[in-house]
Amino acid sequence: MNIKKILLSTLLVLGIGSFSGIANAGCGKVVIASQNWASAELMAEVDKAILEKGYGCEVELIPGATMPTFASMDEKGAPDMNPEQWANAVYTPLIKAVDEGRLVIANEAPITGLGEGWWLTPGSIEKHPELKGMTAMEILKHPEWFPSKEDPSKGAFVGCPAGWGCQLANANLYRAFEMEKKGWVLIDPGSAAGLDGTISKAAESGNAWFGYYWNPTSIVGKYNLQAVPWGIDFAGRDNWDNCITKAEQDCADPKPTAWTKSEVNTIITSKFAKQGGKDIVKYIGKRTYPGNVMNGMLVWMADNQAGGSDAAIEFLSKHEGVWTKWVSSKVAKKVKAGL
Amino acid sequence: MEFFTKFPVMERTALMELKKGIDLSFRLFSRKYGDAIENFFDPLLFFLVKLEKLLLNTPWPIIILIIGILGWLGSRSWKLVIGSAIAFMLIGYFGMWNDTMATVAIISVCTTVCIAVGIPIGIVMSKSNRAEKAILPILDMMQTIPSFVYLVPILMLLGIGKVPGLIAVCIYALPPVIRLTNLGIREVDKEALEASEAFGATPFQKLRSVQIPLSLPTIFAGVNQTIMMALAMVVIASMIGVKGLGVPILRAISNQYLALGLMNGLAIVALAIIFDRITQEYGRRIQRHRGQKK
Repeated sequence: MNIKKILLSTLLVLGIGSFSGIANAGCGKVVIASQNWASAELMAEVDKAILEKGYGCEVELIPGATMPTFASMDEKGAPDMNPEQWANAVYTPLIKAVDEGRLVIANEAPITGLGEGWWLTPGSIEKHPELKGMTAMEILKHPEWFPSKEDPSKGAFVGCPAGWGCQLANANLYRAFEMEKKGWVLIDPGSAAGLDGTISKAAESGNAWFGYYWNPTSIVGKYNLQAVPWGIDFAGRDNWDNCITKAEQDCADPKPTAWTKSEVNTIITSKFAKQGGKDIVKYIGKRTYPGNVMNGMLVWMADNQAGGSDAAIEFLSKHEGVWTKWVSSKVAKKVKAGL
Repeated sequence: MEFFTKFPVMERTALMELKKGIDLSFRLFSRKYGDAIENFFDPLLFFLVKLEKLLLNTPWPIIILIIGILGWLGSRSWKLVIGSAIAFMLIGYFGMWNDTMATVAIISVCTTVCIAVGIPIGIVMSKSNRAEKAILPILDMMQTIPSFVYLVPILMLLGIGKVPGLIAVCIYALPPVIRLTNLGIREVDKEALEASEAFGATPFQKLRSVQIPLSLPTIFAGVNQTIMMALAMVVIASMIGVKGLGVPILRAISNQYLALGLMNGLAIVALAIIFDRITQEYGRRIQRHRGQKK
């Protein structure tokens, strides 16, 4: 009896909710993946605002993450769009999906100046001034500068949380550089919160920290993380795609290499490319966030604990000069009116 | 009219300032006391690291033998002993031995810490109604607050690793042992208490020789529940860098590795069943023993 009532009222609420959505249907229903990190959330919310207000779409955001979202788009054709797909993790299947006409790369560089790599906290350089200008290959000779909490005789290298594409890459590079022999342990921080936690803790207390991170992020902006040059060349796509990004058992002999150049794409399903129409595809193609604007937005989000939707409003109202170039003046007016 | 249709919300900027203020003050707190708190837990970390190393370096037949002996001491049932040995062999055969040992290490230390902290608190609660009233809401909160909420302050204070993981697990796993200790002591037969009072027992003697022995089965049910809940938290603990069976599960979740997730999940279930049966049987045995004496 009680459960029935609850179900009934939920249905009612959901029903009312979806009614108001249908009211401004124009380009149809679009599902956008809102991945679980700040820049992706912001981009998803900005796309939602512009597509809804400017193009009359009915946009639904669904949560996502690099691998699951890609798999779902590739296999099921849903969600329709991923604003920030990190291509390295899915390089081979992405090319295959594009060749076979399932997915379309709508924007090859939605954010400028981004990249994955290894970083140091400024505190590391203060404690060990020799680190300034050192390459990763030289730093690897000094595990004693980054003592691990659980076994201080080893150096701690903080890798990627389990399940992220970069976890495999870091684990394979760990083997390729023979870091175990050199006295390092690879720390699995467990989750995004864990990874950020190790950095903010080290940075706040001025301690040394050496590990993987990526740009653009509020963490890099806020704590002024220093990118480490590799001091070694990129050893070719074959080594990277067929070994470094694979699970350990599929990568028997990883060769030492620099990190691959990071590529981020906005990918959409070919169904949405057709259904959405030329204008929308054109908008997505033009939508490029300058790296410094993006970093500024991310620090703003972190400082204000703002979610993607607040940040989208902030972005659309503060950075008009950036986004009005992406759309026609007519659409821009509509978006502005809708704010 | 607007008053009724729109909920009076705190002003946006004020709300933001409030949130920022809370964050900042906690950040200042952790900057100031973080290291001291971390040092306070160092002996625990040392113990955890040593135990994990010990479990990992002990040859597997000895571990299985010890599990078997513990099973026998706890339950006196051959079925259970053989069952647990087979379960551990399967776990090892499917390549999950190291992760399982890491999990066993953290669960054992968690349970020990929870018992050491929980039973005294439970006794205090049973002695004083005021203490009970004060502690119960805290226990309710510990059990219902989503773990992700307290992961953030723990991370800021202690970083990632075994100790923060242990604290996160204990927050969730501690309440049952406190509740059931309290309940067990409160439920002890009034007549038995009166008899001991008539013999002139001091409150401490009463507690030690009457109340605790008579409430042991209930306390044991609490310990059993604590172990179960600690195992349920393994995956969450892995999110802040605790090694063990939770790590492959996290990997499985984000990559849709069905088999990997299933195998490691089943390994946790197997551990849970073994621990549960052994402690439950033990609890039942001490109860039966009491029944015979009567």
